[in-house]
Amino acid sequence: MSSVEAAASAPKPTASVKLVLLGEAAVGKSSLVLRFVSNDFQENKEPTIGAAFLTQKCSLPNRTIKFEIWDTAGQERFASLAPMYYRNAQTALVVYDLTKPTSLIKARHWVNELHAQASPKIVIALVGNKLDLCTEGEGEGETSTADDDEDRRKVSTEEGRKFAEEEGLLFFETSAKTGANVRDVFLAIASKIPEEIINKRSGTGTKGRAGAGERGVDLEPRTSESNAQGCAC
Amino acid sequence: MASASSSKVPAASPNTPPDSCDVLVYGTGLVESIVAAALAWQGTNVLHLDPNPFYGGLWASLNLEELKAWTDKINSPATNDTPFSNAYLYISRNLDPRKYAIDISPHVLFTRADLLNLLIQSRVSRYLEFKPLGSFHTFEQDSFEKVPGTKEDIFTSQNLTLLTKRSLMRFMKFVVIWDETPDVWLEYKGKPISLFLKEKFNLDEPQIVELVHSIALLSSPSSPTELALDRIKRYLSSMQVYGNFPAMYSMYGSGGEIAQGFCRSAAVAGAVYRLGTKLSSFDDESGVAVLDNGEKIKVTEKLITSYGLLPSSREITRMVAVVEKDCKEWFAEGESAAIVVFPPETLDGNKYAVQALVLGSGSGQVPLGQAVWYLSTQESGEQGRKDLFLALEKMEESILRESTEDFEFDVSEEDIAYLPNGMPVVSSVRLGESLRNFTPKESLKYLLKLTYTQKVTVPPPQPGSKTIYVPAPSIDIVYDGVVTRAQAIYEGVTGTTEDFFEVDFEDEDDDATATGNPPDTSIGDVADIDDEELGDHPDFDEEVAGEMTI
Ligand SMILES: Cc1cc2nc3c(=O)[nH]c(=O)nc-3n(C[C@H](O)[C@H](O)[C@H](O)COP(=O)(O)OP(=O)(O)OC[C@H]3O[C@@H](n4cnc5c(N)ncnc54)[C@H](O)[C@@H]3O)c2cc1C
Ligand SMILES: Nc1nc2c(ncn2[C@@H]2O[C@H](COP(=O)(O)OP(=O)(O)O)[C@@H](O)[C@H]2O)c(=O)[nH]1
Ligand SMILES: [Mg+2]
Repeated sequence: MSSVEAAASAPKPTASVKLVLLGEAAVGKSSLVLRFVSNDFQENKEPTIGAAFLTQKCSLPNRTIKFEIWDTAGQERFASLAPMYYRNAQTALVVYDLTKPTSLIKARHWVNELHAQASPKIVIALVGNKLDLCTEGEGEGETSTADDDEDRRKVSTEEGRKFAEEEGLLFFETSAKTGANVRDVFLAIASKIPEEIINKRSGTGTKGRAGAGERGVDLEPRTSESNAQGCAC
Repeated sequence: MASASSSKVPAASPNTPPDSCDVLVYGTGLVESIVAAALAWQGTNVLHLDPNPFYGGLWASLNLEELKAWTDKINSPATNDTPFSNAYLYISRNLDPRKYAIDISPHVLFTRADLLNLLIQSRVSRYLEFKPLGSFHTFEQDSFEKVPGTKEDIFTSQNLTLLTKRSLMRFMKFVVIWDETPDVWLEYKGKPISLFLKEKFNLDEPQIVELVHSIALLSSPSSPTELALDRIKRYLSSMQVYGNFPAMYSMYGSGGEIAQGFCRSAAVAGAVYRLGTKLSSFDDESGVAVLDNGEKIKVTEKLITSYGLLPSSREITRMVAVVEKDCKEWFAEGESAAIVVFPPETLDGNKYAVQALVLGSGSGQVPLGQAVWYLSTQESGEQGRKDLFLALEKMEESILRESTEDFEFDVSEEDIAYLPNGMPVVSSVRLGESLRNFTPKESLKYLLKLTYTQKVTVPPPQPGSKTIYVPAPSIDIVYDGVVTRAQAIYEGVTGTTEDFFEVDFEDEDDDATATGNPPDTSIGDVADIDDEELGDHPDFDEEVAGEMTI
C-alpha cells in the first residue's frame, strides 16, 4: 500500500521510545528534561524527576513519538549508573557543559559505552549545554544572559561538531536556561528514529523491547492511555 | 504519608561525596535495596554503598568477566565476608562475555506474591520486564512429567485413575480455602505434609510428590503441613492472574535486576549511590564509618549491611550450566522458561529435592540457541555436588532425546487424552519409555559450568547496636520472605512499618491504576469445579475470594 494513502486513511503510527540522558553530573541533563517537558527552568536546583520516567509526545507529520525519558536520578555522580538504565535505550542524549572541557571527555566515554552496550540502531544526540553562558556563536537573536557578559565558553562549536561527525551523532548546542535549541534536539531525534522501530513497537509501552523474542507480561493493565501532553514541536 | 516533594536536593556540589547520612546501607542486594528505597521515600537520608563495581550484592547477575572475578574472589582465602565459597568454574573459549547474565541466586516470582504487589505499588515494576513461567515438570520413573496444575490437566491426565482424580479434585477444592477451614488440618500443624495428604485425602505417592516438590517447591516431604498448604494455594491462585502461568521471572537476571530497580527508585527519592566502595570499619559506638580510601562518614542512625560473615546453620549447593541447545522442548508455547524438580530418592538416594530452573534466550540471559540451567539443593558438601551432577546428567539425556530429530516417537492410544470439550490432545511431555533405553546420537555441548556452595546465614540479634545485618538469600527459588525481611529492617530503623512505601507520586506521568495490586481474578476457577462426574462434596463452599493483599 502506498504511504500517501496510508497517511490519509489510517491514524498516524505512534511509537513509545526509551530515551536516556547521559553525561557528567551538573551539565544540565535534568534541566534539559524539565525545559522539554514543562518548559521550565529552576536555577541552582537539581530538578527532581519523581516519576519512574517522564513521558512526552512529539508529533511529526508522519508519526507520533512518545518519549519515555529516563533521567539518571543522580546515579552518575559516583559512576554508579545501573546497566538497567541504558539497557534497550533506543535514543540517548549525551550532554556536556560548554564551559567545562572535562565534561566533553566524559561525553566521549558515554558514547563509547553506548556503542558497546546499546542496540546498534540507537539514535544518539551530542548536546553541548549552557549556551547562555557563551557570548558568541549562539545564532540566536538574543545575546548572552551571563551577568557580566564574560564569555565562559571553553569548548568550541567545531570541537563538538567534529566529534559528533566522527561518531555519527546528531549535534546541538543548547541552553536549558533560555530554552534555546532544546525542542530542536528532541524533534531531530524523533525524526531520525528508524522506521522499523516504529513499526515493531507501535502502541506498546516499554514492554517487548528488542532482543527478547516473546512478549513480556503487562503487570498493570492500564485503564487509559490518556494524558501525556503533546509537545509543541 | 511521605511526600515525594521533600526530596529536592541542592545541586551545589554534586561531585563531593556526603560526609554524613542517617542510614548507611552496605550492599545492593534485593533486601537492602528495598529497604534503601523505602527509607529514602520516607524522607531518610540514605547513603548506599557496595564494595563491588556492580549492583545486586549476593543476588547479582553477572556477565562472564564479572563471574570470573567473582569466583576468584569467593575462592580466595582472604575473602571472609561472603557466604559463597568453593567455586569451580569452566568457561568455553570464544564466548562474548557481555552476552551473558548469570544469576548467582536465581529466583522466580509467583503472580500472587507480596513482592509483586510491592513492585507495582512502588512503580519499580515499570523499570523491569517480566516473562511468563508456566511449565513445571517432575522427574519420575526416569522421565519428566508435566505437573497437572489445573483441573483441565487433571481431567485430561491419562495416568490418573478416576479415584485419584476424585481425591485430587477434593484436595484442590479444600486447599484454596485451607486457612478458613482449620478443622481439616489443625491436628497436622507442624507435622509432615506428606502424612496429611495421605491420611486426610487418600492421595498416592506420585500426587504427593508433585504437590510437595513441584507445586509447593519444597525440598523435603516432611515440610510442615501449614507451610505446604499455603504454598500449594499460592500456586493455584497464581494461575490465570495474568495468563495461563503461575509464575514469572525478570529478564536479564532475577534478584539483582529487581534490586537495581529499587536502587533507582531510592535514587529518585534522593539516596546517594557509590559502587566499588569498600567499608573498612564501622564504630558502633560513635557511628563513624571509614571507607577504604580513608574517607570518614558519620552515620547518625543505622548501618544496614549484607557483608560480613554471619553465623551460619548450614550450607546449600548450587550449579549453573550454559548449554548449546535452546531447550524449547521443555517450555510452554510462547515461553522461554521451565522448572524441573527431582524429588527425593529419584537420584540415587538424594535426601532433598533438586530444583532446576531452565531459561532460554528469551530471558535475555544467554544468546539465541542456548539455555542456562540453574540447579540447587539443600544438600551440602560432596553429596550436594553429586546430587546436582546426577540431575544434570538426567537433564542432558532428556533434552538430547527430546530434541533429536530422527528419534521416532510413537504416539500410542494411551498417550491421547480428551479435554472436557471432547478435543483429543497428545500428552506432550510424557515420554513413555525409560531414558535408559535411549542412547543419544549427539552430545550436549556445555559452554559454561559452575558449582559453588553458599552458607545460609542467620543474623544474630543485636539489641542496642547501630548495626543491622541482612541475611544471605535463602535456597528458596521463590522470593518468599524478602519483603517481610525488608519490612522488619525498616521497622528496626523507623520503629514502624505503617508508612513502608506509602508514597504519593505527585507527578503522575500517566494514569496508571497504581493500586499496588495485580488485576483481580478469582481463584474460584479452581474451586468452581464441575462436580457432577466426580461426586458431591457438600462440605466445601463454592465461593472463594481471590483477594490477597500485602
Ligand atoms: C560492613 C561490615 C560491618 C561489620 N560490622 C561489624 C560489627 O559491627 N561487629 C562485628 O563484630 N563485626 C563486624 N563486621 C565483621 C568484621 O569485619 C570482622 O569479621 C569481625 O569483627 C570478626 O573478626 P575476627 O577475624 O576477629 O573474628 P572471626 O574469626 O572472623 O569471627 C569471630 C566470631 O564472630 C562472628 N562474626 C564474625 N563476623 C561477624 C559479623 N559480621 N556479624 C556477626 N558475627 C560475626 C563469627 O561467626 C565468629 O563466631 C563487619 C564487617 C563488615 C564488612
Ligand atoms: N546557565 C545555565 N545553567 C544551567 C543550564 N542547564 C542547567 N544549568 C544549571 O546547572 C546545574 C546543574 O543542572 P542539572 O540539570 O541538575 O544537571 P544534571 O546533574 O546533569 O542533571 C543547575 O544549577 C542548573 O540550574 C543552562 O543551560 N544554563
Ligand atoms: Mg540530574
